Amino acid sequence: MSGGPPPAAAAPSGEAPAENPAAAGEPRESLHTPTGRSWRSWLEPVAIVLIGAAWLLYVENSDLDSIARRSLATRYVGQKTWEHIELTVVSTLAVLVIAIPLGVLLSRRWARPATPFVLAVANIGQSAPAIGVVVLLAVIWGIGFWTAVVALVAYGVLPALRNTMVGLQQVDPTLTDAGRGIGMSPGTVLRRVELPLAVPVILAGIRTTLVLMVGTASIAAFISGGGLGDLITSGVSTQRTPVLLTGCVLIALLALLIDWLGGMATRLLAPKGL
Amino acid sequence: MSDGGAREAGGAREAGGPATAAEDDGAGRGGIRLINVTKRYPGQGTPAVDDVTMTIRSGEIVVLLGPSGSGKTTMMRLINRLIEPTSGKIIVAGQDAMGLDPTELRRHIGYVIQNAGLFPHMTVATNVGLVPQMLKWDKKRIAERVDELLELVDLDPAQYRDRYPRELSGGQQQRVGVARALGADPPAMLMDEPFGALDPITRGNLQDSLLRLQEELGKTIVFVTHDIDEALKLGDRIAILDKGSRVAQYATPQEILLNPADAYVEQFLGGGQAMRLLQFSRVADVPLQDVPRARTGDDAADVRRRIEDSEIGFAIVLDERDRPVRWAHPEDVEGVSGPIGERGMAVAPPIRARDTLQQALETLIQIEHEWVPVVGPRGVYRGTVTLGTLQNAIKDMKDRARTRRRPS
Amino acid sequence: MNFWEYLDSRRERLQFETWQHASMVFQCVLAALVLGLLIGLAVYRSGRLSAVATSTAGVIFTVPSLALLGLLITPLGLGVAPSVVALTLYSLLPIVRNTIVGLAGVDRTLVDAARGIGMTRTAILLRVELPLAWPVILTGVRVSTQLAMGIGAIAAYVSGPGLGEQIFSGLARLGGANAINMTLAGTVLIIILALLFDGCFVLIGRLTTPRGVRV
Repeated sequence: MSGGPPPAAAAPSGEAPAENPAAAGEPRESLHTPTGRSWRSWLEPVAIVLIGAAWLLYVENSDLDSIARRSLATRYVGQKTWEHIELTVVSTLAVLVIAIPLGVLLSRRWARPATPFVLAVANIGQSAPAIGVVVLLAVIWGIGFWTAVVALVAYGVLPALRNTMVGLQQVDPTLTDAGRGIGMSPGTVLRRVELPLAVPVILAGIRTTLVLMVGTASIAAFISGGGLGDLITSGVSTQRTPVLLTGCVLIALLALLIDWLGGMATRLLAPKGL
Repeated sequence: MSDGGAREAGGAREAGGPATAAEDDGAGRGGIRLINVTKRYPGQGTPAVDDVTMTIRSGEIVVLLGPSGSGKTTMMRLINRLIEPTSGKIIVAGQDAMGLDPTELRRHIGYVIQNAGLFPHMTVATNVGLVPQMLKWDKKRIAERVDELLELVDLDPAQYRDRYPRELSGGQQQRVGVARALGADPPAMLMDEPFGALDPITRGNLQDSLLRLQEELGKTIVFVTHDIDEALKLGDRIAILDKGSRVAQYATPQEILLNPADAYVEQFLGGGQAMRLLQFSRVADVPLQDVPRARTGDDAADVRRRIEDSEIGFAIVLDERDRPVRWAHPEDVEGVSGPIGERGMAVAPPIRARDTLQQALETLIQIEHEWVPVVGPRGVYRGTVTLGTLQNAIKDMKDRARTRRRPS
Repeated sequence: MNFWEYLDSRRERLQFETWQHASMVFQCVLAALVLGLLIGLAVYRSGRLSAVATSTAGVIFTVPSLALLGLLITPLGLGVAPSVVALTLYSLLPIVRNTIVGLAGVDRTLVDAARGIGMTRTAILLRVELPLAWPVILTGVRVSTQLAMGIGAIAAYVSGPGLGEQIFSGLARLGGANAINMTLAGTVLIIILALLFDGCFVLIGRLTTPRGVRV
């Protein structure tokens, strides 16, 4: 299985996709909006923040009963947003800390025979519905923030792991060969050649993980993990549409914002010359 | 626009140089004529093709030769209307191309491009049968046609019919590409740097195949290339193009080598014309040395008399089938009576009349003999060459070209 | 009651929900395929339109599924309608993007060759461009299906059909006797369905990709 190109390459700008169309369909990779290169790329976050602010203003000033008003108090919404960000960031960090070293380890020469097996497991794992993983862990472990984090990590680690492995596999073997040829030790080859060259794919993986986590974090509300999902569940259970809609709108905007941040990071951190 | 006006324009541009006269007698049945054709792309100051008038005669291979940016491909693509001209008239096989449906027109003009452009998801047979299929031939007829075409391009139908393009080598793919272009037996064929991506050996083979094919089929072929050697080898006529498709010279390869129309053509040839003449002229085309002949059964005194009568100083001995075997010098036959028999020195391996002058030169330099016999088909003796023969031949060609240039 | 006993006792309900889930995913992906192909075909010739189509689908795709479902409740109510709309929308992005990428990825010289031998526009699209783009489009469909399987589970929250019902029942009975069985049944059956569908796609891919372009 070949990996998808980093998001920038998937931009349908005409020439880029032609190079490797077969790789374009990998699950959960490069599914983001292309990030532009000009000031226009700043339009997106500004628009997102403006829409969010406008929505909150509109809702706060509309005719609400006490239940809805309590759920939409600025402090409460702010707290939920913060929880959501916490869930996302903590689980993303955990995913990366697990997946990247493991991916590097599994792509070493001696571990190569295990690669197809790991990839197969990763594929099966990806077929698991997020909600199933979250609820299952809650049933076994009890509810709460940390269960939610563990569930998110369990759900996010396999795609990230696969991404890292595929990224390292994609490194041109003649380059690692050249590295060895000029007398680099295997560790040096990894540090000086393989990892820098795999950086774009790994960065794309981080962005993908962030977006995956921000979406899945909304499910945490079902197991009292906090986050903006709480607004949705309470909106539904109390039948207060403004609350439900606020939850949905804020989650959507947060996801778009984080995707944009991920895109910017991908671009800024990518090594020059690639 | 009247034909007369077109001729005037063509003449005024001196497109053909000495060959301009050829435009007057029309293109013939399967020929192609471009009349005052211009292609201007929006937003570009200079036209890609600027008021070109040119006649491509039926059954000839005409090579459009020029550097990249000379508009040679554009010019070719105008003929099957892959590019629509801004103005001007294009006549293909006696019909106004602009009055035909473009897809219909293209089905009757073969089209071969670099790397063959075979459809990778179709078998060789499907690729070759595409045009007949679009023309609604019945299945049996298509299948027969496909086999016939594959044989024509030296591919065994049974072996290659059901293969996919990527299972073939580059050269084989291009053979299939040519077969596909010939699908509906079009009178004309356009070839856009068809052999450009092949290695030199494969390219040479395909060029030879194309020449052999052309001997058999006599298509009108427009061949685009930037390789001057390819142009000289394949072209019955070569159009050397400058920027904006200005036809700097339109003439036969020999004419171009001997008599470049202007500085641009000369620069494009890049010198070495004498070597190229050697490369593209055949031994059969040059006057050979005449040496006294003898046969093994001839009387020695008789042969001696013949040698003494000529200035050469020796004779060539032929066998009963007129094949050269030995040189006989006066000392070989001195004091011999009766038939000369086996006397004399064996001749060097002969040069064939259809060898190029370059090959002849090669042989002359490599072997120790100064004189080498030339043989035609079945090894029959045709004459003898020396280094001097070749030198004189080249000089003659140049002299002739010079005298021809003077009156014009 | 252990897991196997649970499966056995709820056989009929589970069968029904599995069927529902599969059928919902299948229909939504099919709808997305038709829509996606139409959109892809409409825009692939223009780089700008392609970018607009891909980024619009990308925005929809980035919106988390729960949020989208929630947004859809207001106009569409609970039940099948929001589930189907959400699933179709999510399935759209991979298909649209891969259709565009696939069609744009067709070697231009092949299209030129097709024009040069006298193929009509329609013939070029049907006989050259779509067949060559097909493996890429099919991969998009495959990705869509996998996504729709997982998101379909969340649809149960808005009373949508399918195996999600098991998971949410498990959640509702948290701490109860069958909570783990229900959740496990829902999750495992969805995984099995997803793998089955994926296997089907591998097969379809094999059968519909001519030998000449198989990787």
